[in-house]
Amino acid sequence: MAVTERPERHSLGDRLYDAIFSNRVWRSIFRSGYPNTPRNQMLAVATNVFLHLHPTRIHRTHVKITHTFCLGGLSFFLFLGLTISGVLLMFYYVPSVDRAYTDVLALQTDVRFGQLMRNMHRWMAHGMVLTVLMHMMRVFYTGAYKPPREFNWVVGVVLLVLTLLLSFTGYLLPWDQLAIWAITVGTNMVGSAPILGEPNRFVLVGGFQVGQNALIRFYTLHVIGLPLMAAIFMTVHFWRIRRDGGLAKPL
Amino acid sequence: MATARSTQMPASEAVRGRMRRQREEELLVWPDLVFVEFICAVVFTIMLVILSVLVNAVLLDQANPAVTPNPSKAPWYFLNLQELLLHMHPALAGVVVPTIALIALGAIPYFDNDHEGQGEWLSTPRAWPNVIVGAVVGVFGTLALIFFDASRHVDFYEWMLNGPHRVPTLPDGAPDPTYIHWPEALNWLRSLRSLQTQVAWPAWSTNVPFSEFIPAQLIGITDFEVHLNLPAILVEQIIPTTTMVGLPLLLSLVAAKVGLAKTRRDHMILQFSGFIATYVILTIIGTYFRGQGLVLTPYTIFSIE
Repeated sequence: MAVTERPERHSLGDRLYDAIFSNRVWRSIFRSGYPNTPRNQMLAVATNVFLHLHPTRIHRTHVKITHTFCLGGLSFFLFLGLTISGVLLMFYYVPSVDRAYTDVLALQTDVRFGQLMRNMHRWMAHGMVLTVLMHMMRVFYTGAYKPPREFNWVVGVVLLVLTLLLSFTGYLLPWDQLAIWAITVGTNMVGSAPILGEPNRFVLVGGFQVGQNALIRFYTLHVIGLPLMAAIFMTVHFWRIRRDGGLAKPL
Repeated sequence: MATARSTQMPASEAVRGRMRRQREEELLVWPDLVFVEFICAVVFTIMLVILSVLVNAVLLDQANPAVTPNPSKAPWYFLNLQELLLHMHPALAGVVVPTIALIALGAIPYFDNDHEGQGEWLSTPRAWPNVIVGAVVGVFGTLALIFFDASRHVDFYEWMLNGPHRVPTLPDGAPDPTYIHWPEALNWLRSLRSLQTQVAWPAWSTNVPFSEFIPAQLIGITDFEVHLNLPAILVEQIIPTTTMVGLPLLLSLVAAKVGLAKTRRDHMILQFSGFIATYVILTIIGTYFRGQGLVLTPYTIFSIE
């Protein structure tokens, strides 16, 4: 008598798992299942557009939180968060001296989650200045700027400046007393430079005092000019980390 | 011999001594790193949402170019420069110092370029002592200079000699003859600026016709007129520059002499720690201790109202 093979009995959980993760739609997005062998796990990193900034393998000391405190990654995370919340804020904000302040007021009172959005943007901006500074300290104290990583340190210093400028240009946009006078004090510092100071200040502010011209200049720099430059330098920064052999290792 | 060796080095130590192969030291990015990053992002998103729910971003009255708030302050990360502005020429504090600081920062790897001490926190010998000395000197040196420029040593002197509750005036408003003041002979030491204002500089020194010494037409530039105020240059430029260059150099020299800093990495750690400490102290003073008229007094942004 022939023994017929009986199909295995699946539990409800198994069938549910299959229904979610093995259907055609899911498979069209994620071609393979959960990567559970080392080979597939490396492929998961190497073939994914977002993950492929990473190497496939990493030195075990670099996974410890206390080695990096995630500071570089956090800076990038905050940059992404600022981009998202910033785009949302742009929906409600018009960079004109007549409207800017009332737009921010309306954002806080009339727009659902508007106040939360503005708060998030503000705290993430302050946070990014802090994480970038602390990331610089981490890189310094772990000696991670040494050859062959010298140039990436320089790129990092440029990114620090861009972060400060991004935050500084954003400072003017609410168009309140804090904003206009902080920018006045800040741009006056530029103006105090010998010979080139006053022309530079004039170009930056677009006049002799902070007004409509300054607002539109700072707005444009804040929402497109500086973020683009930061994105370009970040691309180089991340690329060089990989090119220079990942994070610095003890010899 | 073998037994002597085994007592010196336990078996576990002998195993650990074997050089590990590169592969054994490595982990897979998926899942070991990707999950750490993911959890980090989730934790920080939650923390930022909680912070944003609890604390609102500041929004003062609408901008009014006609009303200058007192004090007017730059954003907090530039308050260190604004603090410097109080002690020296604005061009020096606002442009020259930050430019040179950034260039020096970028030049660190080209100066300290050996491979020692990479990839581990402060792993070179003498690293921690250099951090501590640099930070302590940075903090207290900066505080001492700020207190000097705010005449706090004068207050301290009078407070020590008169006791804590004495005031220089009698109840009816007349000056108290028994109150001991800072000696007049040392008035030029009240603050940095008093070197300019409290010394009888000869009249010519405050108005040196610098442009007359330059043969403008001969070297082909347009005629210009510049009069130099030598005491002002001394106070606003020469002394601050000497201080900012000299004190770090002195620190490195002393550290090298006493054997604290021997390698370039040691000197870099010492100077960088001093720089960070100075930066932080200047920011804190500029943010929380500069009130109306930017005098040295506790202050928060919330007292503007």
